[in-house]
Amino acid sequence: MDIIKNPRKRDGEQQLGVLYDGGKVRRRREWRGFKDTFFDYTRWLYLVSVLGKFIMNPYNVKGFFRYRWMANYLGVMHGMDKFTIGLRDEALRITHYSFNYVIADVTQSIVNCFRGDRRIRNDEEFSKHCVLTDENAMTAQMMGFKAEEARAILREVPTMFAANIFNQNSVIHYIDVAQQYGIPGDVCPMPESEAGISIDDDFCVLGSCAVQVNTTCDGSMMGNGLIAKRLEREYGIPTFQLTAPLRHREEDVQKYAAEDMKKAIAFIEEHTGAKWDWDTYFQRAKNVNDCTRKRMAQLDINATPYPQFFGAAFSLYNDTNYMGNCGRDPYFVKLDKKLLKLAEKGYREKRMYAREYRHRCIVWGVQPQYIIDMLYWMLQCWGVVPLTDMLSMVNTRMIAEEDTPENREQAYYDMAWLNENMIMRNRTHGGYEVLVDELWEFCEQMNADMVMMWEHMSCKALDGMHGQFEEQARERGIHLVWVCHDLCDPRVYSRQAIRDQFNSYMRTVMREEPLDPTIEVLPDENAW
Amino acid sequence: MRDLKHLIYFENLLQQADNELIEKAKSEGKLCVAFTCENLPEPLMNLDNTFSIRLFAPNTGTTDIASYYMTNLLCETSRALLERAVEGGFNFADCLIAPDGCTMMNRCAENIELLHAMDKGNDKFFYENMEIPFKSDENGVELLVLQCQNHILKPLHETYGVDISDDAIRKAVAEHNRVCELIRAIGEYRKAEKPRITGYEFSVLTLASYVCPKYLIIDKLEETLAELKTRKPDEKPWRARILLVGSEVSDTAFIKLIEDAGAFVCCDRFCFGSFPGREPIAINDDEDALTQVCRHYTYACQCARMMNMEKFYGRKQYVADLAKEYNADGILYQQIKFCDPWAYERLTGSTMLHEDYGYPVLSIDRPYNINSSAGQTRTRVQAFVESIEIKRIKGGAN
Amino acid sequence: MSKLKKIPLMLLGAGGAFFVVTFTIYFFNLDMKLTSKLEPFFLKHYDTMPRKQYV
Repeated sequence: MDIIKNPRKRDGEQQLGVLYDGGKVRRRREWRGFKDTFFDYTRWLYLVSVLGKFIMNPYNVKGFFRYRWMANYLGVMHGMDKFTIGLRDEALRITHYSFNYVIADVTQSIVNCFRGDRRIRNDEEFSKHCVLTDENAMTAQMMGFKAEEARAILREVPTMFAANIFNQNSVIHYIDVAQQYGIPGDVCPMPESEAGISIDDDFCVLGSCAVQVNTTCDGSMMGNGLIAKRLEREYGIPTFQLTAPLRHREEDVQKYAAEDMKKAIAFIEEHTGAKWDWDTYFQRAKNVNDCTRKRMAQLDINATPYPQFFGAAFSLYNDTNYMGNCGRDPYFVKLDKKLLKLAEKGYREKRMYAREYRHRCIVWGVQPQYIIDMLYWMLQCWGVVPLTDMLSMVNTRMIAEEDTPENREQAYYDMAWLNENMIMRNRTHGGYEVLVDELWEFCEQMNADMVMMWEHMSCKALDGMHGQFEEQARERGIHLVWVCHDLCDPRVYSRQAIRDQFNSYMRTVMREEPLDPTIEVLPDENAW
Repeated sequence: MRDLKHLIYFENLLQQADNELIEKAKSEGKLCVAFTCENLPEPLMNLDNTFSIRLFAPNTGTTDIASYYMTNLLCETSRALLERAVEGGFNFADCLIAPDGCTMMNRCAENIELLHAMDKGNDKFFYENMEIPFKSDENGVELLVLQCQNHILKPLHETYGVDISDDAIRKAVAEHNRVCELIRAIGEYRKAEKPRITGYEFSVLTLASYVCPKYLIIDKLEETLAELKTRKPDEKPWRARILLVGSEVSDTAFIKLIEDAGAFVCCDRFCFGSFPGREPIAINDDEDALTQVCRHYTYACQCARMMNMEKFYGRKQYVADLAKEYNADGILYQQIKFCDPWAYERLTGSTMLHEDYGYPVLSIDRPYNINSSAGQTRTRVQAFVESIEIKRIKGGAN
Repeated sequence: MSKLKKIPLMLLGAGGAFFVVTFTIYFFNLDMKLTSKLEPFFLKHYDTMPRKQYV
């Protein structure tokens, strides 16, 4: 592609390597010019207020001392800084508003967990209306329940997933526990660490029941059994296993999925006493569609030469909004609107966030990008623009949102469809077409000349197509950069080992020099 | 013991995937339906003029090509099959039917399809991927019926004109059941304190029933069963009786290795084994045969992928029941390396069978071809046998 | 100067002081430098807690 040069000089810091000193946190925060530094400071103040309010509650303090994973939240601000590196103007604002709300959402999750937790506040009345749900699953089955009657508690999100955003070492202890009991080291560390948390008795214990789903993968599905056993046998919390067919694009699996969705809803009704409410459902279906439209609009902007909402924040926001929220929180509708407005403004003003854009890149594969600031680093160090990522390429189909008798039956199919199309598994399962063939279509749609392929070494669904990616990219003349990692286990691939793979491709294959040589090698091995 | 009359014959059949019986069946004008997973209803692939062959790759050495396509992090079974397919070792087949039983086998089948590794010179060859249930319930039965119709029966009928009628299915079930009854009857001889058949010999016969046209081995199985009725067992007792549980075992040398280390494999609960794979299918005249066959596979399945908790607990109970029935002293949980489903099932199974049911348990992972890691495995088994003996001497159950 | 007139000045002073202190903490990353020092104590605490490990 032709190099696009940024006509504006970036305010503030020009070389970002100065921020790193090899310690656990950065030397100081980035100087972004007065206007953007002040904005960043006000968002920092906002997060201080969110966390301050959290820690003022004695039950949360009690939880802090009970659960090991809480220590990772000492690094919240550090996590935020990771995802704003080098950003200015609209992209800075978009990243802050989206990510800040994710943090607020996770904070509320922890508050809810501790409120119902038998070991912390033990609010039994609250707990009996809680339904434990998988972290890596849609919460579609909760769309027709009012929160006060049946509330989804994604207890694995604060425990494992979000904790990993703020501290790269957050799950090492749990992986070790799981392996000590005999789970081999070659499985994906994500479900493995969740199994370790269960074995180590470090999950909050609450809820009247739990719904597990066979997403994302074989490992995730199998880890559920172990977790369910403890829930059922030790804590007396019944579990339901909701099935999402693997061949999710096929018509002949949809009825199976829809019927099981009905059973899951009946199970929740039975154990919480809640009643499914169609008004609530269809309102939330509207929210889901709104979220889909806004995400597609953001992708449209990213297909232009001036992408605005990108990087880990884009992906994480989509995860939270599309999957964890699934239409239940109306604030996301407002936030989506605000973010789109900012992105449109940035596009109109042709905002760029690096000195030059050399390559337009689709980020594919199973990503560790919450643990590392890789996508922003690619942009700042090499001028490679991350247009979108695999986890953001989810459902684009509108679901039924008008309450009619036909649509009430269709709703089960829609919920099942969403469930089947949760992030990641909608690509890693369902046949090579959705993983390989559609990648090349996205490259064309978004004018990408490069694919950064996260090769998660324990993700068998992705690794199983390695040779096909390799050969087909070559046929199409697309630069395919393999970047191997082991997701949340930095002992296998450190951050610099990950970056080195990209560096060597850019130097040896592309024969390019970095835009900012001070960050080509970063001393963040010991950083959170 | 004196050698079984047909043992060498069966052993020779297992030396390569493309064995002489497949060639014989093909020369008789029959069609070969290749498949990759125990969860597919075998009788539906043995209709009319078809016969089923479950793919395996005996004597696998390196898997360089497969490792290029799927990395060296996928389970060795999936890589061995892809390698063999690329080498042309499965060119006898007329179609490949592969369910998404586990991710890695799915990727194996997809690579075979994308590389056209099995369809060379056969214009009619087809590849089918299909969904199978995750839970044992009637919803799962309904799914499996629909999937079998769309991905087995219809393609066979439309491509090759195979008779897929209810009568044809009933006939195939009868043949299937005959093989199952023979295998199970032969397996019964493992229950005795001084068994008339070794675990290795039994595994050879059982494996042959998956990888050879069934109708061509029935006579030999019948003769073997008759032979066992008068076979004199060894006087020297085995040091320990072990129930072997886990992921697919298509390498009989693994069983031989265990028995060489002093442990009699008294029962087999693994993919390619007789439990539950060789359980006869009971069908009546009140319901169509297809539904009944699918119901059997949905409920009898002991695959780790079945995720409902009744199955999760039921799998362990099933193993405990077999251990009791076959007088096992201990249980060996094994998984093929890099297998995700059995990685977790091995942990929960080995823990529960020890803690809840009181059995000594050995838990190991292993390569596809045991000869690449024979020393390590032998040492583990020997130590396990010794530990069982010591416990026996001390009088404790565990 | 009357007390009433001093209030805006006091508010301005307090606001200014608040800004100077918090901005210093913010810019020099003192918040994270502090919490990073706390982490080892928490980890030690979690390591010494009795736990019922169970598969």
